Amino acid sequence: MEEGVEPVAGNRPRQSSTASEDTPLPVPAPRSVRCEARGVKKAFGDNPILRGVDLDIPEGSFAVLVGPSGCGKSTLLRLVAGLETADEGTIHLAGRDVTELPPRDRDVAMVFQSYALYPHLTVRDNLAFGLKLRGTAESEISTRIKEASAMLGLDKLLDRLPKQLSGGQRQRVAMGRAIVRRPTIFLFDEPLSNLDAALRAEVRVEIRRLHDRLDATTLYVTHDQVEAMTLADTLWVLNGGRVEQKGAPLDVYERPASRFVATFLGSPQMNLLEGKLEREDGRFFAAGGGIRAIVDEDRFGDALEEGRAVSIGVRPHDLVLAKGEAPVVAELKVELIEALGFEAYAHGWLKSSGPTLIARLEADDARSVKAGVTVPLTAAPTSVHLFDPESGRSLAAS
Amino acid sequence: MSRARTQRVESIAAHAVLLVAVIYALYPLLWVVSLALSPEGQSEPRAVPWPSSPSLDNFRAVTGWGDAARSWLFVRQLSNSLVVSLATAFTAVVIATPTAYALARWDFVGKNGGMRTLLMTQMFPGVASAVPLYLILDALHLLDTRSGLVLVYAATAVPFAIFQLRGAFLAIPVDLEEAAMVDGATRAQAFLKVALPAARPAIAVTSLFAFMSAWNEFILAATFLGRESAYTLPVVLQRYVGEYNTQWGAFAAGAIVVSVPVMALFYVAQRQLLSGLTAGGVKG
Amino acid sequence: MQRALKLLLLVLAVVLLPACAEPTPPSVIVWHHYRGKEQEALEKVARAFEAETGATVALLALPYDGYGAKLEAAIPRGNGPDVFLSPHERLGTYLANKLVTPAGGAFPDEDLARYEAASVDAITDGGTRWAVPLATKCVALYLATKYVQTPPETLEELLTAGRAAGKGVVPLAYEAHSAYFHAPFLHAYGGKLFDGKGFAMVGPEAERAAARVAELSRAHDIPEEPSGDLVKQMFTSGGAAAAISGPWLAADLPPEVRYTVVPLPRIDGAGRMRPYLTVDGAFLTPQGASKERARALVRYLGSDASAKVRAAEGKQVVANRAVWGEIDDPVLSAFHEAGTLAVPMPASVAMRATWVPAEQALRKILRGDATPAAALAEAKARYDDVMRPPPPPPSPVPVVLLMGVLLLAGAIFAVRRVREPSFRRELAASVPAYKYVAHAVVTVFVLVVLPLLAGTATSFFAGTRDEPRYVGLTHYIEILTARGQPLLSHGSFYLTLLVTVGWTLVNVVAHVGIGLVLGTILSRPLMRMRAVYRVLLVVPWAVPSYVTALAWKGMFHRQFGAVNAILAAVGVEPVSWFSQFSTAFTANVATNVWLGFPFMMVVVLGALTSIPKDVLEAAEVDGATRFQAFRLVTLPLLKPTLLPAVVLGSVWTFNMFNVVFLVSGGEPDGTTDILVSEAYRWAFARNAQYGYAAAYAVIIFGLLALASRVTSGVGKERGGAK
Repeated sequence: MEEGVEPVAGNRPRQSSTASEDTPLPVPAPRSVRCEARGVKKAFGDNPILRGVDLDIPEGSFAVLVGPSGCGKSTLLRLVAGLETADEGTIHLAGRDVTELPPRDRDVAMVFQSYALYPHLTVRDNLAFGLKLRGTAESEISTRIKEASAMLGLDKLLDRLPKQLSGGQRQRVAMGRAIVRRPTIFLFDEPLSNLDAALRAEVRVEIRRLHDRLDATTLYVTHDQVEAMTLADTLWVLNGGRVEQKGAPLDVYERPASRFVATFLGSPQMNLLEGKLEREDGRFFAAGGGIRAIVDEDRFGDALEEGRAVSIGVRPHDLVLAKGEAPVVAELKVELIEALGFEAYAHGWLKSSGPTLIARLEADDARSVKAGVTVPLTAAPTSVHLFDPESGRSLAAS
Repeated sequence: MSRARTQRVESIAAHAVLLVAVIYALYPLLWVVSLALSPEGQSEPRAVPWPSSPSLDNFRAVTGWGDAARSWLFVRQLSNSLVVSLATAFTAVVIATPTAYALARWDFVGKNGGMRTLLMTQMFPGVASAVPLYLILDALHLLDTRSGLVLVYAATAVPFAIFQLRGAFLAIPVDLEEAAMVDGATRAQAFLKVALPAARPAIAVTSLFAFMSAWNEFILAATFLGRESAYTLPVVLQRYVGEYNTQWGAFAAGAIVVSVPVMALFYVAQRQLLSGLTAGGVKG
Repeated sequence: MQRALKLLLLVLAVVLLPACAEPTPPSVIVWHHYRGKEQEALEKVARAFEAETGATVALLALPYDGYGAKLEAAIPRGNGPDVFLSPHERLGTYLANKLVTPAGGAFPDEDLARYEAASVDAITDGGTRWAVPLATKCVALYLATKYVQTPPETLEELLTAGRAAGKGVVPLAYEAHSAYFHAPFLHAYGGKLFDGKGFAMVGPEAERAAARVAELSRAHDIPEEPSGDLVKQMFTSGGAAAAISGPWLAADLPPEVRYTVVPLPRIDGAGRMRPYLTVDGAFLTPQGASKERARALVRYLGSDASAKVRAAEGKQVVANRAVWGEIDDPVLSAFHEAGTLAVPMPASVAMRATWVPAEQALRKILRGDATPAAALAEAKARYDDVMRPPPPPPSPVPVVLLMGVLLLAGAIFAVRRVREPSFRRELAASVPAYKYVAHAVVTVFVLVVLPLLAGTATSFFAGTRDEPRYVGLTHYIEILTARGQPLLSHGSFYLTLLVTVGWTLVNVVAHVGIGLVLGTILSRPLMRMRAVYRVLLVVPWAVPSYVTALAWKGMFHRQFGAVNAILAAVGVEPVSWFSQFSTAFTANVATNVWLGFPFMMVVVLGALTSIPKDVLEAAEVDGATRFQAFRLVTLPLLKPTLLPAVVLGSVWTFNMFNVVFLVSGGEPDGTTDILVSEAYRWAFARNAQYGYAAAYAVIIFGLLALASRVTSGVGKERGGAK
């Protein structure tokens, strides 16, 4: 990224960057830190939110906390920020125990879902607010504001009040306010959820670009799996106040540790059918609900046991029309076709009374397959996930 | 009927309703003005409030026009009223704001009891508290001082101010203060530098109410103040109401003089009045 | 903003500080309620005294309303004046509260010859002279030269001359419903208002007097519902051939009005109309009695030199008889002559409780609602009821025991809670919040709650402030049992409560209704002149209500009010607004709605701005009519903001003293009184029964607190609507 940062356009025309010539390149935060949480518990009244969470984010890493609403991800973020106090457990920033410290002593910066721009202050004063509180010199403040506003394309907006800005512009001011602080760690609390889809995609890329540029440790909370997948170095999937799974996004996606993670990540949602393991010709098949698919024995190994009840999961993406030699795992009676242009999804039933199922069609096939016909489907053995029907854990994990 | 026509009719009806309301609102006041402009009585029954021979005599009498000493006294009394009312508004807001903020943001032991007590003070008819207040001020050595009067007015205005401001603080997103604290503010700084400015419209309205309550009060002022040069205008005004007769013209003229600054404030504070009176107005 | 704040602080500090600094104290402090010429003359006399003695005299003019209250508050605490001027009729109250000392050296026997005997009588009580009489006030007959040239011998002569003056001229204008102005008629027939022990306006004499006045009213010889102001206006504009009034009228008449003043005439078949005489006295307070200069000043105020100035420049009917030879002011002389024929007003505390029942009876008689005999008997009964001595003090032991038990229970409860660890944790977590509320708690407790508690405490006592007598719950029992009358009898607590509840309901509904209509119209998009309307509609809020309420009262006058003038223009018969409950109540409501709708309108306007437009558009798409959209969408969305305003508005209306007291004044016959104005009457018009009034206040408070319990969901709803 030697060529300087191009400002993100909100809803105004993209303008060519002036930042590269006359403003100094933003200095990466020199002090990006490790962020750890150990055994953190938190309850509001009788309602437990976090039931013992361990978190470890190395210096300069981009961690995304993802989970359904109520899973405790925002509370965890707020605990790191110091806006809530943990009932049990500790939080360390750069090896320092900050559990009992107020936010201002933690040197964190946070971007709120609502942006939380100070309504009575201009954009410039919003950006300067935190620096002034910390007694930063005026000249330094204006340098940093210049930097940040160049980076985010806020130059022309500096003297406006928040209410005179569009949603996208507000979002960038909120980020600018975090950036000028040059904090040891950035916290994002669903920062994109108030933007429209197009803008969201744009800003998403911009956030990752900023992170790579500034190299600061980042903790990002979202319930949007696309954000989670695209942004994270490490994905932390939370459910019911516990960490359900962590890892690189693709690892988590490809090897979900539980039925919950499997269904939470990926869109359309993974098809799930109840069935049991069968053995035929020395190979294990997962069969049930109208499906019969070969199982990847390398992955599940010892857990495979004939007659064992399992939940069978196949992502729609991996369930495709059986052509040529491919083994047919199921027959889908198509109810409707969702054509997306580059591909299509077929919704239908495997049995007349069974659960609905979604399969992927090539764009060309989408034209020939019509509602009402029955088509054969196939799936690669590696794409068949097995879960324990009781605990929901992946058989691979046990 | 076409849509445009419906709208025309509706618009006319709306203006008609407003006109009727304006007449209702202004008609009695026109009588006060007419009374103030009438040098002497007016006794034919008439529907139009206009004096038969308008003159400014009553206004001259009230302001002591032409008599240097009396106009000087009037100016002093006017400034007393201004100072006392401004100080009341200021003190009441200073007292009420942190409390309202605490009530809006935190749960603490005694909170509900306190709020109930505040509401209850509004229910007690205030007729009887003049004498105990006198004794308290006497004990505090604040009798016959503007500070004492201001303190009493402010304290009386505080309960309503707290309710008013609490509503305003409830409507300010907590995010704002949290953002400030993440930015490096202490709890107090987050309150002073973020919540307080965001509540400005409500604070303006609350001040206006406190100002008005002090501006119009005369019973306590007459009881506590012991020098004519320390009187506020309503006390002076009340002097036109006598044992046997009332000098209506002067009384009305004085009332108009007293009302003008409040009307001016209303005019200036119009927008705040709308947004500040209801909690919903402070959103960014 | 911060700079502005600092500047404001600085200004306040500068302006407030000098007020705390004490100037050098004057040698004598005098409080008085004189205005205009009387005040100027008094100041001149004081300056003369200063020049003569080298003393400094500080005069403080006070509003008549609240004068007595201020004296009662200040003098016992040593903050009062050395000398105060007051009409003698309050002497009973002053004595009961120990506000005055015998005039003593300020009024030695050798000065006796100086003063008119009647004035000396007036300020004498129990053989002691309590003040130096300064001036007398009584009513006399004003004759408009235009209509009546020769002073009439009798009332009937006057009426004949007056009737000849033509259409549109009333023969005699006076405040017929006022017992003070009725007294001359009463005295002419040999009746009495007060006999030294109690209400005495009963019996054949009083009935004949009342019947005669009713006759005058029926014959339109006197105006309907005349107020003092109206009498003045009528006489000034030539609408009355004669008027009964005091010297104050002369001061208010413009120079072009030609008139003479004569003592009141006789009535055919009865005696002379003798008015009540009040004497302005100079009283010494306990604090002033010890100051030689104060005593000297009081004596000087009555002296010839002082009297001359006060007569010549203050136009006072001075009580000093020596100066009358030198006065050639016919009006003053006439009042002086009238004064010699007048009856000194009894000065006892009990006398002051006669006015209201007498006035209520007179109004009834004048309206023809009751025969004189019935009305007067009722007045007597009311007086007796009000003056019924409080029962013997019950033993305070049970109450003290109860208090002790309650305190003990409270203490045990508190200790237990503090011992609970969870509570202690909560308490510790509350400390930061306490830093924010501590100062408000202290201020509100000391200056709001403490006075209210003190008020509550007085409800257990009767008697004067100096000698309170513990009566326990007697006041409450009396109130809640309607003083032994049927529960819904006239003036009973329950009837008044019904009226109050009705009053509150009607007003609040009207406030909210008008507020909603106007707010909705004003928030219409594309509404022109919105700002202008908005400003004009909040104007009623800006003017002090004690002035506008009086303007409304004037508008509802039977004969000269604007409302009847408007009705007449559309051909409706004039309405006697204050003679029936329904119309008087309507007049009160019209006034209070006028006062209150701007607040509600502004609340609605503000609340409407926070309703998103798309919700209404959704309703429109869903096929709702405008009215349905308003009822089903706007209204429920307004509710959270509106409800607290409605609750507060209801509390304020429930306690809206000003309007009821100033507009209808409880008329007719106290039926439109609400609980607060009833409490006020017990405190100030009925023998100063502060304890009884305080009990009323506590009951009002209890009712409202109970009602708020019922609607306590309101606060929660708002708190939860984040």
